[in-house]
Amino acid sequence: MTPRKLIALTRAGIMESLQFRLGTFVTLFANLIYLVLVYYLWKAIYASSGTDVVNGMTFNDTMIYLILATALFNFLEMFIVWDMSRSIQSGKIILDLLKPMTFRKYTFWSYSGSHVVSFVLTFIPTFVVVMIVTKGAIHMGLNLLWFAIATVLALIINFNIEMIVATICLYTESTWGINIVKETIVLLLSGASIPLAFFPDKLGTVVRYLPFRAVYDTPLSILLEKNGSDTISGLLSLFGMQLIWVVVLTIAGTLFWNHSVRKITVNGG
Amino acid sequence: MGNEAIVMKDLCKDFKVLNRHEGLKGSIRDLFSRDYKTVSAVRNVDLTVNKGEMIGYLGPNGAGKSTTIKMMTGVLEPTSGEILVNGVVPYINRKKNCENIGVVFGQRSQLWWSLPLIESFKLLRDIYMVSEKDYQDMLELYRSLVDIEPILHKPVRQMSLGQRTLSDILAAFLHNPDIVFLDEPTIGLDVSMKAKIRSLIAGLNEQKNTTVILTTHDMGDVDALCKRIVIIDKGQKIYDNDIEHLKSYFGSYRTLRLKLDDDTWEETLIDESKTDIMEVINRADRQKKIRDIELIEISTEEVIKKIYEGEAS
Ligand SMILES: Nc1ncnc2c1ncn2[C@@H]1O[C@H](COP(=O)(O)OP(=O)(O)OP(=O)(O)O)[C@@H](O)[C@H]1O
Ligand SMILES: [Mg+2]
Repeated sequence: MTPRKLIALTRAGIMESLQFRLGTFVTLFANLIYLVLVYYLWKAIYASSGTDVVNGMTFNDTMIYLILATALFNFLEMFIVWDMSRSIQSGKIILDLLKPMTFRKYTFWSYSGSHVVSFVLTFIPTFVVVMIVTKGAIHMGLNLLWFAIATVLALIINFNIEMIVATICLYTESTWGINIVKETIVLLLSGASIPLAFFPDKLGTVVRYLPFRAVYDTPLSILLEKNGSDTISGLLSLFGMQLIWVVVLTIAGTLFWNHSVRKITVNGG
Repeated sequence: MGNEAIVMKDLCKDFKVLNRHEGLKGSIRDLFSRDYKTVSAVRNVDLTVNKGEMIGYLGPNGAGKSTTIKMMTGVLEPTSGEILVNGVVPYINRKKNCENIGVVFGQRSQLWWSLPLIESFKLLRDIYMVSEKDYQDMLELYRSLVDIEPILHKPVRQMSLGQRTLSDILAAFLHNPDIVFLDEPTIGLDVSMKAKIRSLIAGLNEQKNTTVILTTHDMGDVDALCKRIVIIDKGQKIYDNDIEHLKSYFGSYRTLRLKLDDDTWEETLIDESKTDIMEVINRADRQKKIRDIELIEISTEEVIKKIYEGEAS
């Protein structure tokens, strides 16, 4: 690992993302519309249930969770599947393959700058607004530090999921369908659109052990001190699960990519 | 390691491609088809390139030039044969090989699209671990060869094709690689930009003793830059010798086109070493009125055709 290379890529990524300032506003605006929808949807759900607390969550709990999940989603979102399939089609991938570092590392660090930008420009503002509006519903303590660590692990897991799906697309030569399937699975099973507490028992148990949950639900649970993350043992088991997935997916993703990259015939010329 | 930059022995590359069928029905059939055919893109090519040499790697469309370059860079694995670049096997040691090569593929850019060129340079400086001094020296050399100031602070997406190509060539040389591969670097450029780029490449090769492998369809590029040319056709090497040798066989041919009064073009192939072009024009002018004159470089395709016809070997 050479920090100089990684810092340089991150720096360029930050500068490039800042070129698309307008994109940030569009994202914030789209989020607003989405959240208004979510608000009325869940209001109806709570109204029809007749109680204030559903599956251990109040309406406010659910809203805070979903708003932060949306902000986290904007922050963690990567477009590796799209970008890679486009650069394979055009043959541009050859230039990325010829960088003096592994393709996976190059890709990860090319994205890191845009994560930094979206963290500062979308996640932090959203967080601050939620904090002010809810007046103290989010505890300001060590949980913030644990949340930061969990988010970095989530980022690595998400990167590996993206890379593995992108590699599958090398074989299928079609991206659109597979990408839609991936996005649906991740959004549903990660807790990004429905809190895991609302899942039926059996499905909920399975989902808790899948990697998708480690991307959104784990960091959010830790931030909001839910799901037992306010105890040491609860925290450790959440981190443990994330770490296992980081290791498993990194190894699997690396092997799968190294095997597949030899099959790329590099279009055009 | 001796004086060789690149050694290829009996190098072959086959592609397996699906035999596609026509129409919607055919497309559905293709989904389950195992009906592959093999395309031999490169066949039994032997080639040794010495350090500091600048060779023109020529051939008609589909001859296998880009495929050979992809094997030399390590992104493609040869089907059979041996290949060594800077003493390493490129597809096995891709990362190591990458540190010592630079590439330009015409019409594709490795520059960061929305950033000023200088930022891409800084990024390349860091990912290739170039020292600040070497980096500044290289920029100094660039300044002495071309006027880079107007483009240095321009975002790449605002550049013209010519400026972008120029920038990509500079980017490929930035970490002072031992070998630079230029795959059709002058494609789509006007005459003055071509001239600029040729003198830049010649200057860099001379100053840094960089080995350059150049593919092009423009004989002018070859004439200006390469002492040695290698020609392949249908994947096979059919010529490998000095450009002088080639010229001695069919001289410095150019096509003279004259537009006559009745709006028709008259073409004459002229060997400048034997015939004076002005004389031909004068003679024609005495017979008919000439409205326009064009001089066309002989194309690589014509050269290859002539080789086939047995005029050189
Ligand atoms: N990825 C690929 N899959 C299948 N066939 C390929 C692939 N790449 C190249 N080919 C075939 O290999 C042959 C050589 O192609 P190549 O791109 O090396 O030609 P070239 O000499 O660079 O031509 P040009 O001057 O047009 O760029 C062609 O017949 C081409 O169709
Ligand atoms: Mg080509």
